[in-house]
Amino acid sequence: MILKPPAWIGLAIIVLVAICAAAASVLAPVDPTRSSVFFLQGPSQQHLLGTDELGRDILSRIIYGARTSLLIGAGAALVAVLIGAPIGLAAGYFRGKIDIVILPIIDLFIALPGLVLALIITVMVGPSLLNLVLILGFVMWPTIARLVRGQTLATREHAFIEAARAAGGGSFWIIRRHVWPNIMRVVAAQFAVTVSFAIITSASLSFLGLGIPPPTPDWGSMVRSGFDFIAVNPSMSLAPSAAIALTVLGFYLLGTSVE
Amino acid sequence: MITAIIRRVLLAIPTILALTALLFFSVTLVLGSPATMMLGEDASPRAIAEINARYGFDRPAYVQYIDWMSRALQGDFGRSFTSQEPVARSIAAALPVTIELALWSIGLAALAATVLNTLPAGGRLLRTTVVALNLVGITIPNFILGIGFIFVLSVSLGWLPSTGWVPWSDGALAHVRHMIMPVLTLSAYYFGAFSLVYRAELKDAYSKLYIRTARAKGLSEGKVAFKHALPNAVLPVITFAGLSMGHLMGGAIVTETVFSMPGIGRLFVGAIAGRDFPVMLAVGMLIVVGVVVMNFIADLLYTVVNPQISLE
Repeated sequence: MILKPPAWIGLAIIVLVAICAAAASVLAPVDPTRSSVFFLQGPSQQHLLGTDELGRDILSRIIYGARTSLLIGAGAALVAVLIGAPIGLAAGYFRGKIDIVILPIIDLFIALPGLVLALIITVMVGPSLLNLVLILGFVMWPTIARLVRGQTLATREHAFIEAARAAGGGSFWIIRRHVWPNIMRVVAAQFAVTVSFAIITSASLSFLGLGIPPPTPDWGSMVRSGFDFIAVNPSMSLAPSAAIALTVLGFYLLGTSVE
Repeated sequence: MITAIIRRVLLAIPTILALTALLFFSVTLVLGSPATMMLGEDASPRAIAEINARYGFDRPAYVQYIDWMSRALQGDFGRSFTSQEPVARSIAAALPVTIELALWSIGLAALAATVLNTLPAGGRLLRTTVVALNLVGITIPNFILGIGFIFVLSVSLGWLPSTGWVPWSDGALAHVRHMIMPVLTLSAYYFGAFSLVYRAELKDAYSKLYIRTARAKGLSEGKVAFKHALPNAVLPVITFAGLSMGHLMGGAIVTETVFSMPGIGRLFVGAIAGRDFPVMLAVGMLIVVGVVVMNFIADLLYTVVNPQISLE
């Protein structure tokens, strides 16, 4: 797998965010949930990015928020691959009746607006970290399934698949040993893109008021509450906005710039 | 052709029925009884029973669905729990706002994507700028883009009104001034996505012989680009634009919330926040039906502009 220059930029951003998430307790200047009487202050020496409406340090909340974003993004993409890859492999490898049933379902789910779907399901089951991971994974699987199906369709025509079949290999064995290793890289690249879209969708849900419940630091919710005070303290919404945009950009660049 | 269209329509009906039934049952089953939703968790059993009897919530779910569907087909979506207004009236008021926003955004995105990527004389700087803007459009969530626009164009510069919406009848200029930022916000993603599709098509078109012929007969690069390359590469963008209308609803919800526009998206978010069951259901179904219909139209358009592809 060859990484083009933009992919390295993406990787650097992801590493930076991952360090923030892993070492949040060391890096954050203060406890992200501790409120104080110094609310809605602009950037200063004590609070590099200022404070929010409850006097909490915005920088610390952004550093801790990296955990939530990465967990939801990577978790949702993993769920999407776990659902989408087997379905795509089955449809692409066996074709015929299985494909006829699966393909319209995939197309239908791709056509439905993911955010609306996620919104409805979140209202029904309630927002929690685990629920959001499962919901976003469920919303994103069709894209993975369609990609895997297409790749499988192309791969199964190769001579080495025929050879494996001639050697007496069963379908499951051929898929596991010959098809999957050949399409794994494409899926890995799509995984990164899926992480970026999962982060966008979860941030949008938070902005609409259906994110991780407080006081857990969450970038989308921070943007939402900061939006009300945009004329008073712009950094309250602009700083977490930048964090979201940068993280999404990192995963997107990594996923789209590999050969 | 006609039989193919009729067959597609007949196929679309069960799809819509299945999706709406799924929506209806999951909303009614998981959210609990609408009566508790209306009266709150600690309502007395008697009051709940009364509401159930009055609205027919005590009947089996499939009976309620059939009843709801047959009323919906006659344009009756019930009344909102919170405002008591007929849902159909709220939707009729909100729909034009969303449709206008959607059409402007998709139109602007398609126009910008095709024209900016076709301009040959712009050279390297223009190309890099367009690619960078595409990246911004795709990776920045549109609520962030919207807030960014509000911060720069309203709060800092004071050029445009930050939020709200003014109908055409109250002045065209005010209407347009309120529409600029929402349209820019919503179109950004599609500008990026359409550009990706269009650039791939354009690259393909430029490898064809008719381009070489056009150049050989001495046409300027501009003529070659706009008269020969563009018409041959624009088709997938049109189809993609049609297919995007469903996806666009997600963006419209966020954009309308950021800019406080009285459209379908905001109606939906409000219904969700207030657990307003009839509004939620009606808007959800409207979106589902809209997606299926738009996909059908996009397919149809594709066969009309490209006769090589049939609906069979």
